[in-house]
Amino acid sequence: MKYIKGEANMRKKILLLIIVLVTIYLSSCSKLENLPYMNFGTEPYENVDYAMGTVISQRIYSNNAEEISKKVMDKIRQIEEDMTINKPGGEINRLNDSAGRDFVKLSEDTLYVLEKAKEFSKISNGAFDVTVGPIVKEWGVFTDNPSVPSMERLQDLLNLVNYEDIIIDKNMPGAKLQKNGQLVDLGGIAKGFAADEAIDIYKQHNVKSAFINIGGNIVLLGDKPDGSLWKVGVRNPRGPEGSYIGIISAKDKAIVSSGDYQRYFEKDGIRYHHIIDPRTGYPSDSGLIGTTIVSELSIDADALSTATFVLGLEKGMDLIEKIEGVEAIFITRDKKVYITGGLVNSFEFEDDSNEYEYVKKR
Amino acid sequence: MNMNMLKKGDFLIIGIVMVAVVFSFVYISHYRKADNGAHKVAIIKVKDKVVKSIDLDTVTEPQRIEISGEYNQVVLVENGRIRFVEAECPDKVCVNTGWLSDKGDMAVCIPNSAMIKIEGQSQKVDAVTH
Repeated sequence: MKYIKGEANMRKKILLLIIVLVTIYLSSCSKLENLPYMNFGTEPYENVDYAMGTVISQRIYSNNAEEISKKVMDKIRQIEEDMTINKPGGEINRLNDSAGRDFVKLSEDTLYVLEKAKEFSKISNGAFDVTVGPIVKEWGVFTDNPSVPSMERLQDLLNLVNYEDIIIDKNMPGAKLQKNGQLVDLGGIAKGFAADEAIDIYKQHNVKSAFINIGGNIVLLGDKPDGSLWKVGVRNPRGPEGSYIGIISAKDKAIVSSGDYQRYFEKDGIRYHHIIDPRTGYPSDSGLIGTTIVSELSIDADALSTATFVLGLEKGMDLIEKIEGVEAIFITRDKKVYITGGLVNSFEFEDDSNEYEYVKKR
Repeated sequence: MNMNMLKKGDFLIIGIVMVAVVFSFVYISHYRKADNGAHKVAIIKVKDKVVKSIDLDTVTEPQRIEISGEYNQVVLVENGRIRFVEAECPDKVCVNTGWLSDKGDMAVCIPNSAMIKIEGQSQKVDAVTH
């Protein structure tokens, strides 16, 4: 009897052992994704799309990443519709059409961008100014037929450039342009705003790790799922698209570059780029060929990359050092690379072209 | 034999479970490996539709692929690399991007909504500013 009881126990024990082993195996599936050869839980969703006249890529680590990326694209298209001057319709076109006459009702988004634009115009002493629209239009750098305007014509149009002529009525809410013929162009700030909005949407959907790149306006949410920092290349201003002069390692940051290489045309052997100095009416000639800003908000980085590009190395550095939480990389025409103090540990100079010199501090 | 010792059916169940466990493990790891393969696959997309997918590592002869659209373009494929080589668009950003040869590399023509991308992610950088 005792013998038989022992055997019955033995059988139960063996079956129990099998059940335990299988349970361990099955439950370990959830851990298997940590192994490099079966990382299904950390596979990112990637999407490339077009809007705001540029390429938009998103990388999202989430279960419903596709749905989230679509919501982001919807939001970006809405922003484009509101703020573009390259297509008919939209709020900024209405604001421009009513210049010198009426206040125009504006959405919260557009009003926020206008306020930000004025703020950066002020702190840069007009080196960044969204009322540069009439002059940008005259040059036609964004059209198929750009041309060099006459100096007289530019002098006339310069009278229309003044950010203080954007009158904001927060109660309406709306705004008005003071003078007839004035034209707001948000091309230097709207993409930055759109990238910030994308990050908000990721956060609303509890995404912990993602990035969006709106035509070079890059915003990083969190770090990578394995805990490492994102690596963002800083564009080589004289190399092909995708080439870089160094790498910024960061998380939860916006990184935006401006440069004379982004859009330009040549006439009689002279290269005219798209960043117009609102104070002269001509393409900015500050000695910089590329600026990169690292900050919390992309809208700030977008405006500041343009502002510092126009200001030049010395004044640009001064401006960035005055603003807390903002860092910058400047590349001069003689191919020297300067950084602000806060980037010493996160920027790695890596120039495959061997054309640049890393100076660090000015 | 004793009634209460392991039965023939028990051995059968144990055997089936063990085979299933081993088989599924091998299958999953093999599947993952195939997915993360070393092959560089380039996709050509026009207006968000994949028009061609090319395994760059199996290309032997240089090959020209014509893309029609608002602006006609020509893609050139060689072993291990791919590029836009001709384009009728005004800015030629796609052609100036040059050769793509690493995972994650991408060349884009905005006016034509056309794009070449080598699938996968770059090991060195996640993104590059413009």
